[in-house]
Amino acid sequence: MTQAQEQDFQPVVGREKRLADARALAEAIENEDSSSEAQLIGELTAAYSGNIFDEVGRMTREVHDTLKSFAEDERLGALAEDEMPDARDRLRYVIALTEQAATRTLTITEEATPTAEQIVDRSQRLKGELAKVAASEADNARLGGVVESMTRYLDSATTCGERIKGQLTEIMMAQEFQDLSGQLLMRVIDLLEQLEEKLVGLLQITAPVRSAKGEDRKSVPAERAEDGVGPQLPSAGDNVVKNQDDVDDLLASLGF
Amino acid sequence: MDRNMKILVVDDFSTMRRIIKNLLKELGFTNLEEADDGQTALPLLKQGNFDFLVTDWNMPGMTGIDLLRAVRADPDLASLPVLMVTAEAKREQIVLAAQEGVNGYIVKPFNGATLKAKIDKIFERVES
Repeated sequence: MTQAQEQDFQPVVGREKRLADARALAEAIENEDSSSEAQLIGELTAAYSGNIFDEVGRMTREVHDTLKSFAEDERLGALAEDEMPDARDRLRYVIALTEQAATRTLTITEEATPTAEQIVDRSQRLKGELAKVAASEADNARLGGVVESMTRYLDSATTCGERIKGQLTEIMMAQEFQDLSGQLLMRVIDLLEQLEEKLVGLLQITAPVRSAKGEDRKSVPAERAEDGVGPQLPSAGDNVVKNQDDVDDLLASLGF
Repeated sequence: MDRNMKILVVDDFSTMRRIIKNLLKELGFTNLEEADDGQTALPLLKQGNFDFLVTDWNMPGMTGIDLLRAVRADPDLASLPVLMVTAEAKREQIVLAAQEGVNGYIVKPFNGATLKAKIDKIFERVES
């Protein structure tokens, strides 16, 4: 309690009376006179309660005024009924867009991977066939030179094909962002839903005619690790593992 | 390790199911099926002679941890190797998964090399 609040609770009964009551109370306790004791405690408490009632009255007025201004603020109604659902829809749309983009990218990488494999396979096969031709025409120096440069080209085509295959895998793995960002956005959508529900509830209490929209809204339970809480932000605390090494260390400590 | 073993990939995001399936294909596994949460996965597991389960944690319907519990509680499935691939990164969650009998745990984002290493380790233990 602050000093200012303490000053508000000045007793309404004089010092002499309070001292007399206090001495009588001590005496009653010493004499084990429980009925006098109860009466004196009541009187001493009453010495302060006048101020408490005043204070409760003042607080009630403040709460009333706050709720009244809350109910009259049109902005809050619009926020709860239009803008928050709209924000949720926008976030859902972001999830849909990223899913479309990721799906498109995955389709292309899935199609391109066999093409890269074909380049590798065909280059290797052709190289083998060329080697046979070169062996049977060993005395043809001009052919030998052509075979040699073609073989070099086929080797580099094989290397390029392998490299492209690896790069396609990297592109595929990068689409993981869609799952992670989608999960994060879904948690924000949940949060908006809870806020919206609370706000609609408050608006209903303060101005019951305003909206009945929130009535059939399901209540959203608090977050439980058991249910899965989604990806953690990089700024998360020590309770969260930072990378796969942390996971492996933790599991190793459990005997894995 | 048998490359023909039947693997079930469970994740509510189709993008992630596709990524995991592609990575498994690159590792030589071709007998792959998928489900989008525990509820659809469990009946598949019960009928389907699966050799390996790869599951996410956070899914609507039935979560991965509940799926793991259901698998361990079913006498026919109890010994099925289970790998979790999830964004759930809290220490208490990893400990819980270990207590419930998970065989491996990968935190997203991950890569193909990690997936291969964990699968190799799981089957090294299962087969020894």
